[in-house]
Amino acid sequence: MADVILKTSGLTKYYGSKLAVDHLDLKIEAGSICGFVGRNGAGKTTVIKLLLGLLKPTAGSASIFGCDSQNLTPDIRQRVGYVAEGHRLIRWMTIARLEKFQRAFFPGQWDREFFAEMIDYFELSKKQKVKHLSSGQRAQVSLALTLVPHPELLIMDDPTLGLDAAIRRQFLEGMIRLIMEQGRTVLFSSHILADVERVADRLIVIDKGVLRADCTTEQFRDSVKKVRFSFDKTPPEEIDIDGYLNSRRSEKELELTLVKTTEQKIADWAQKTGAEKFDIVQTSLEDQFIDYTAPQKRSRLFQWEKD
Amino acid sequence: MGIWIQISAGSDKPIYAQIMEQVSQTIAKGILKAGDKLPAVRKLAAELVVNPNTVANAYRLLEKEGLLTTKTGSGTFVGDPKLRSKDISQLNALAERMDTLIGQGVNLGFSGDVLMKMFKDRLGKFTKKS
Repeated sequence: MADVILKTSGLTKYYGSKLAVDHLDLKIEAGSICGFVGRNGAGKTTVIKLLLGLLKPTAGSASIFGCDSQNLTPDIRQRVGYVAEGHRLIRWMTIARLEKFQRAFFPGQWDREFFAEMIDYFELSKKQKVKHLSSGQRAQVSLALTLVPHPELLIMDDPTLGLDAAIRRQFLEGMIRLIMEQGRTVLFSSHILADVERVADRLIVIDKGVLRADCTTEQFRDSVKKVRFSFDKTPPEEIDIDGYLNSRRSEKELELTLVKTTEQKIADWAQKTGAEKFDIVQTSLEDQFIDYTAPQKRSRLFQWEKD
Repeated sequence: MGIWIQISAGSDKPIYAQIMEQVSQTIAKGILKAGDKLPAVRKLAAELVVNPNTVANAYRLLEKEGLLTTKTGSGTFVGDPKLRSKDISQLNALAERMDTLIGQGVNLGFSGDVLMKMFKDRLGKFTKKS
């Protein structure tokens, strides 16, 4: 088994009386790209800040490279790259000044050539001032500043928010390149499920501070299914099938969103209720996510619950 | 001979399934022949901007179907047609997809003869090369 890079145990955070993160147990291994998804206000940013020690947990703990997030040593910090939401950079600085500023935090680790290459690749000049950059350019600079020390772990909070399609693709390319260098681990939150599907091999879904899914992207794709049952009469009122999330009905049709079920169970239920036929409908990751996070019933998908 | 794979993220079909479908089509059409080498996992992943595990997974499943073979150290190749598995579940899956198409054809009002001719014409595109 690969090394555990990032871990939380019973991680819980209250803001006053509002519960933001609820007993989160996570374990992320070296070499994976984790897409961290959840609706607005689900607690993603809070979790990221807790992991980096920027917030104090109310209960439970988080650790990075085996070091408690509340006591991260400079050594550990140097192995982590963090891209904050909104790419906030110091406005009055030029790119050259920003580089100098950032370099001070990574003694002996700063790859000047690589930085120059990236600035060149993004068609920027080191003389440009932050306040004159577009939001896409600011994102590019902040990515360059984060990648240059070659972090083993990269944590990004919604890095592609508000960026155009071409710059988003550049970002994704950068991520793919990063994990191709062995042992790199990435955790990134995003609302663009198509991006997550492209680059993430692991999907972490949280909703209202609760972990709802932690599995491979492909397991999630295979687990959340839409099934359309056709009847020659009114469909049954009671839906007693395993993994039932929600339903839509018409006069003679019933469409169910099911999670973690098998074709055999679907066929058995169809027979039991006297359905004429059923079709399993493939849907996009985005549709699956929407169905999964807005259910009438709650269920969870985990990969790690066995160990 | 190179192969062109085009994937679309965010579609109904998972990315690994899109890669599988396109590779097997390329083989079915004879563009890739037994013994031909496939692009390396990492190269294809970088090109398509997808996670390398997704490409590896597609290759692995195609290998299970007997369409591809992997030689340790030298790469992934198109397998020997004689060794391809034709298990019953694959045949069933194929029959189901045909049903959908036939259903569409019938609904559009085409007769059985017209559909049959269409089927034979299309089939010709795949079989004349082998």
